[in-house]
Formats: sequence, structure tokens, C-alpha cells
Amino acid sequence: MSSHATRRLILLSLLVLIAAVLTLMNPVFLTAGNLLKLLQEASQTGIVAVGFTLVMISAGIDMSIGGIIALTAMVSINFISYTKLPVYVFVPLTLLVGVAAGFFNGFFITRFKLPEFIVTLATKGILSGLALVIAVKDSMGFVQNVYIQNEAYLWFGSSTFGGLYRTTIAFVLLGVGTQFFLKNTRGGTNIYATGANASAAKLTGISTERTVMGVYVFSGFCASLAAIFISSRMMTAMPELGIGSEMDVIASVVIGGTTFAGGMGDIWGTMIGSVFLALIKNGILKLGISPWIQPIVIGGIIVLTVIIDVWQKKLSDRLATKSKLRKIASAPGRRAA
Amino acid sequence: METKHANGDNLLTCKGVTKSYNGPIVLDNVDFSVRRGEVHALVGENGAGKSTLIKVVTGATGRNSGTITFDGEQMPLEFSRKDAQARGIACIFQELSLIPGMTVAQNIFLAKEPTIGRTRIIDKKKMNHQAQALIDKYKFPLKAEAAIDSISIAQRQLVEILKALSDNAKLMIMDEPTSSLTKTEVEMLFEIIHTLRGEGISVLYISHRMEEVYALSDRVTVLRDGKLVSILNKDMISPAEIIRLMIGHSISEKAVHHRLESKRSPVVLEVENITTVGKFENISFSLHKGEILGLGGLVGSGRTEVVRALYGIDPIDSGSVKFLGTPYVPSVKASIAAGIGFIPEERRLQGILATQTITSNIGIANLDVLAPKGVVSIRKELERAQKGISLLNVKPPDPSHLVGNLSGGNQQKVVLAKWLVRDLKLVFIDEPTVGIDIGAKEEIYEHIRKLSAEGVSILLVSSDLPELTRLADRVLVLRKGRIFHEFKDCVLTGEKILRAASGIIEEAADEA
Ligand SMILES: Nc1ncnc2c1ncn2[C@@H]1O[C@H](COP(=O)(O)OP(=O)(O)OP(=O)(O)O)[C@@H](O)[C@H]1O
Ligand SMILES: [Mg+2]
Repeated sequence: MSSHATRRLILLSLLVLIAAVLTLMNPVFLTAGNLLKLLQEASQTGIVAVGFTLVMISAGIDMSIGGIIALTAMVSINFISYTKLPVYVFVPLTLLVGVAAGFFNGFFITRFKLPEFIVTLATKGILSGLALVIAVKDSMGFVQNVYIQNEAYLWFGSSTFGGLYRTTIAFVLLGVGTQFFLKNTRGGTNIYATGANASAAKLTGISTERTVMGVYVFSGFCASLAAIFISSRMMTAMPELGIGSEMDVIASVVIGGTTFAGGMGDIWGTMIGSVFLALIKNGILKLGISPWIQPIVIGGIIVLTVIIDVWQKKLSDRLATKSKLRKIASAPGRRAA
Repeated sequence: METKHANGDNLLTCKGVTKSYNGPIVLDNVDFSVRRGEVHALVGENGAGKSTLIKVVTGATGRNSGTITFDGEQMPLEFSRKDAQARGIACIFQELSLIPGMTVAQNIFLAKEPTIGRTRIIDKKKMNHQAQALIDKYKFPLKAEAAIDSISIAQRQLVEILKALSDNAKLMIMDEPTSSLTKTEVEMLFEIIHTLRGEGISVLYISHRMEEVYALSDRVTVLRDGKLVSILNKDMISPAEIIRLMIGHSISEKAVHHRLESKRSPVVLEVENITTVGKFENISFSLHKGEILGLGGLVGSGRTEVVRALYGIDPIDSGSVKFLGTPYVPSVKASIAAGIGFIPEERRLQGILATQTITSNIGIANLDVLAPKGVVSIRKELERAQKGISLLNVKPPDPSHLVGNLSGGNQQKVVLAKWLVRDLKLVFIDEPTVGIDIGAKEEIYEHIRKLSAEGVSILLVSSDLPELTRLADRVLVLRKGRIFHEFKDCVLTGEKILRAASGIIEEAADEA
């Protein structure tokens, strides 16, 4: 427990430290505009990462999120281009893309006991292909770049009072709600139990199938939700939108302290992780370093975090035995030899 | 033998229950019943189908055919663990079913947490409170808010028991609940079982320890090779008779191990004042060639920690170790190279590769012999596996069987086999016969004696007192991480060891 708190403290200190260094090197960093934009970027990744965190706590992985984002955006574009449906009708329908994809993933994983990685990777392939198929094309058959002019749709990606982006508000609400769900409800407990020891969870009477199904559906939902905010913010969408975003999402979750082994982690960590990642990316940009090194840095951070986590676990185990000794030493009734 | 099958005082009635895990038939047309308010023991060899039968009854796995009636209601062909729980079937499974990373309270109430009103929001305060109340009721040495990972194996077994008790069961099933408990804790459990019976709750109890079965139960059901052999009233039968029904023939306990003469053979392992903070302090002893040195003590007294450190898994903070007269710094690699073996206690966790076959499980511990140049000799690997299987009577005797699909006891046997087929000079054995049936137990004892006669030195950790008294030449009793007493050249009794382990030295010291 306390090693968990230490980790979080270190992460937060590091966050402040990097922010301070960036401010010193480029004063533009600390402007309200930049910070709000940074939070907005963090939120776009973060919304997906919230769903992904639950998948990872259940000891699974969802490689399909990129495909879900792409297809969701294309479905939206189709609604906008070819129908006159109001936003409050077609956006909920669009969100069903992620929900359906999650069902598909969950069904094959639980019913046929297929490996999560393979199932979701296949889903990603199918969905990104579908995104290309339904993309709006010109008469020559080339994918057309549709500019979104639907005011109601653009509302999602815009900012509100004080320049705070609605994406950020959505992220915080989703994050807080999911954290509460994880830590305070039976459903949340079931996810931890399933991830930590699935056969034990089953023997205890938890329906691990339902739990696994649930996390993939939720992950798909979050990815679709993010797609709405991203496309609205960009005022357009290409069928490649979101493809390759797994990297950033996984980085956010892992930095936040959720482990691949399952049974551990929370949303607070993921929220800090997404801000941390956005900060690094923003810093690379603000310092004028080539953006091409971004993926190298992010990959490096993932590996480094995992190494530090393993190392810290060993350390804390050792400290725990030491403190046990102190208790033994101070306990009365020791036999004088 | 049981003609009054349909009588109304049966809580659980199974008729013609058949089960196969895609392939061989594991339960073959089993008729079985548990009466209201009785303690019913289920016995049989490793792999007889005991755990499978209770998994079917508790909804943990399905059955192929047969009817199950519980509390007057017919159970559907497919029902979940949850359905069974809701009807009042609680169970402590053979495999620990606790969740790491959660607290004691969270584990006790897993999937049945008290919630706020009709929501699914957990009332944590109430949960901790209820858990502590339950702990206090049974006077267990536990704290509701302690993390599962921070408590000992024996304590975890107690949590497992509380978890089942909190189910408000009509039928409480226990699959080898005492295998990781010591005598005091076992007595606590027996008291609980008596209380349950007093409250009219039926208890179905699985154990390989005949004295437990005999002390506790009203009736005994014997399974052999998936078939019901008989249901017996305890007063009509002797323990020897039960054993005969279990394994099909009777066994005779071989004579007590002839103890080493005081004229000692050369020292193989010399341990001087080793200490690891928080685990054990100032442990010194020497182990001679061909000697069986027993390590007794309560669970948590530091026995396992000592052997783990000597094998090189955990570090030693101070003190010195000599192996064959030369200073030796334990490390797993050096130990294997030097011909030192280690059979760990928590075998299901530390000792097996569940998704691998028996052959490769045995092979992996013997790669140095099987693949001296890096390429495994399939033929030699198979030979070793077959040797291990016949040595310990593993069931089914099929080297290509996945270890994860073996019964609990047979998994233990595979881990034992993997070390016992090696050529060793010294071996640390931690609880060799936990969960192993009576017939195989005698064979293991016989093998340990044979090893010792061949000059292998053995450090034997055991909570099974007759095991220590029957096998060991000397016994060191550990208490709170220190050597509390040494029994040598005297007639050992379980009683004496237990007293020393509990810190009563006066009487015990008389003999020495
Ligand atoms: N999941 C499984 N898949 C395939 N076979 C299995 C599986 N579980 C058990 N078996 C087989 O079923 C038989 C009965 O096993 P079971 O676990 O019921 O034995 P048991 O009587 O409980 O033995 P033990 O005393 O060793 O615990 C064994 O032969 C075992 O190999
Ligand atoms: Mg069993």
C-alpha cells in the first residue's frame, strides 16, 4: 500500500519537475492557453486509456482501440454528410460502434477462449478496413476529406468557460466515475479479482465471463467516445484516425501504475499518466526538438517504467521483511537462550 | 449397503452422477448422499475423483449426467457456483481461492460484499466490521484490513475457512482444509466443525489423514477410480478397513526407521549461526552423510525460510555455511551444480508448470543430465518421466498428461518425482506428503529411507508429527525463528515435538 503511495508521489513530483524545467526553457509553456491545450490532448488519449485500464486490470489487452476510433469517426462523418439527423440522435448511435466491437471482442475471448491479443488485433484489422470502405469518397473513388460544419457536433471539441475544453471535462467526469466504480462497487471488485486470479474468482462465484465481456465493451465505448471528441476538435476525420494510438494509450496506463499482469492499478494513475505523456509530447514540441523522436521517447518511457516497477517491487518486499523484524524484535516474550 | 436412499433426512442426494473432462470418465455413475446435520467424510486415493465430485456439487464444473437434489430441490444439469451458493452450498476448495492484492475482509466477502441499500456500491465500513466480527467469533489470529499477501499460508487457509463460513451454508464442503495447518489450527477447525454440526449444518469433509476422518465423521464414503465403493457408518468400521476399501488392499506401516548409531558419518552440511533479519536467527547445526534431520515447529516458525535460504533462494544476512568441508555461499545455481536438491512446500505455486506435460515437468529439473550439450534427449527425458511416474504411482500413469489436469495429490507427486529421480548428495524436503494419499505416502517414506541408506543427506521439514518421528534420526524444533530444542538419541514422540514447538521445554528437555 505504501509502496503504491510512494510511486504515485514520485510520479507527481516528476510531473512538476518536468513542468518547471519546461517553463524555464520556454516561458510560453506556462501560459493558460498552452496548459489548457495540453490538458485537452491528455484528455483525448486519457478517455481511451480509462477504458483500457479496466481491460488491463482484468489481465487482458485491447489492441482494437485504434480501429474503433477510425470506424467511429467514419460513421460520424457519414451521418453528417448523408443525413439530417440531429446530433443527439446520431452521436449515441455512433457510440454503439465501440460497444458492438467490445461485444465482438468479449464474445470471442470468453466463448472460444481465444487469446485477447489475437482477437483484438483481428478486430482492429477488420474495423480499420471497414473504416476505409465506408469513408466518404469522391467520384474518382478517392477518400475525401470532409470538413465538419455541423455546429452541434463541433460543440464537443470546443472550449467552454475560461477556455477549458469540453473534452477535458468529459475526461475528468469519466475518470472520476470509473474510479468510483472500480473501488466501490461489486463490479469493480470483480474486475480486480478476475485479473488477479481468474480461477479463484470463478470458484468464489464471480462470473468472469461477464466481467471480461464488460471490460471490453467499456473499452470500446471509451474509444468511440474519444473518436467523437477528436474528430470534432479536428473538424474533420480521416479513416486512419486513431490507428497506432495504442502506443500512447498503453504508455499512459503503464506510467499510471497499472500492470500487464492484471489485478492492480487504478484510474487516478491513468489520469496522471495521460497528463504526464501529454507533457512530454508538448515539451518535445515546445523545445523545438524533432517530433519524429516522439515515438522513440514514448517507447523508451514504457520500458523504463516497467523496469522501475519491477525493481521497486523487489525493494518494497525487502523493506517489508525489515519492518517485520522490528516488530518481532520489539515483541515481548522472547526466550533468553 | 445403503437401501434407504430416498429417505427424507438427506440434504444432498446424487444419483448416477457421471463426469468426464472430455475423455476418460472421472466420475462413473456415483450415488452419494449427505444427511442433514452429519459430518460426512469423503476418502479415496489421489485421483479417485473426490475433488471432481464436490466441484460438480458446488457448480464449479458441470456433469454429463445424473441427478442432484439439494434440500428437496432438483438441481438443473447446468448451474453456476453462484446458484449453489445461493442455495446454501459453501465450499473450501483444494486450491487456495484467495485474491492477492485484496484485504482479508475483501476476500472473505468477495462477490457477496455488503452494499449500501439496493445499490451495488460496497459498504466498506460495514464489510470490515462484519469481517472482524467473524474473525473474533472464531478467535482467529487475523486482522480484517490486513493485505492477503502479508499473511502466512496457514493464515490464508483460515481466511479461506471464514470465507466459506460467511456463506450461511446448509452444507459446508471442505476439500483437504487441514493440509497446510498445524495441530493447533486443526483443533480450532475441528471445534468449528462440531459447532456447525450442533447448528444442524452438514459438513462434507475430504482428507487423507485417517485419524481426522475417524475422529470427526459420522459416515464415510469411499471412492475408488471414480466409482463409489461404499458408504459406511463410522461405528461399523475401522480405519484399517477404510484404507483397505480405498486402495483395494491393506497396507502395513513399515517398521520405524533404524536410527543412525552415535558413531557419526562425515559431516555434509555445516551451518553456523546463520541469520536473516525478520526470518530466523542464529541457526546452527550439522548434517551428516546419510542422515535424516527433521525440522519441526509450528507453521511460521521459520523452517521453510531456513531451507529456502540454504538452497540459495533467499539471501542470508550473516553466518557461515560449509558444504563437504568447504565454505559455501548458497545460490540456486551452485546448489544444483553441487548436487543439492530442494522440494518446496507450496508445490502448486512454486513447483509445477501447469500447461506442460508430466514429461517436461520432470525433464526441466533435470536438463543438466538430459541435455548436457543443450539438446534434450527425448528418449532419456521420457525414461526419467516413466521412472518418476512408477516411483510415486502417479495417476494416470501417462507421461504426456498435462500437469494442470492432474488431481491435487498427483501434482504433488510430480514435483516430488522431479527431484527424486536425480542423483543428489543433499536434499531439502519441505512437507513431502501434504495432500498425498496413504498408500503413496508409505512409498514416499520408503524412498526417503532408501535415499538415506544410499548416503544422501536429508533435511526434512514437516508438520506431520508421525512423519518426523518415523523418518528422522534427529529433530530440531524451531520456534520464532530460533532453534528451540534438539531431540537426539532419544525415543521421539509427536507429543514431545509438539510441546517443544509450542514453547514448553521443561518436560521435553528431560529426555535429552
Ligand atoms: N481439469 C481437468 N481436466 C482433465 N482431467 C482432470 C481435470 N481435473 C481432474 N482431472 C482428472 O480427474 C481425475 C480425478 O481428479 P480429482 O481432482 O477429482 O481427484 P481427487 O480425488 O480430488 O484426488 P486428490 O486426492 O489428489 O486431490 C484425475 O484422474 C485427474 O487427472
Ligand atoms: Mg482433490
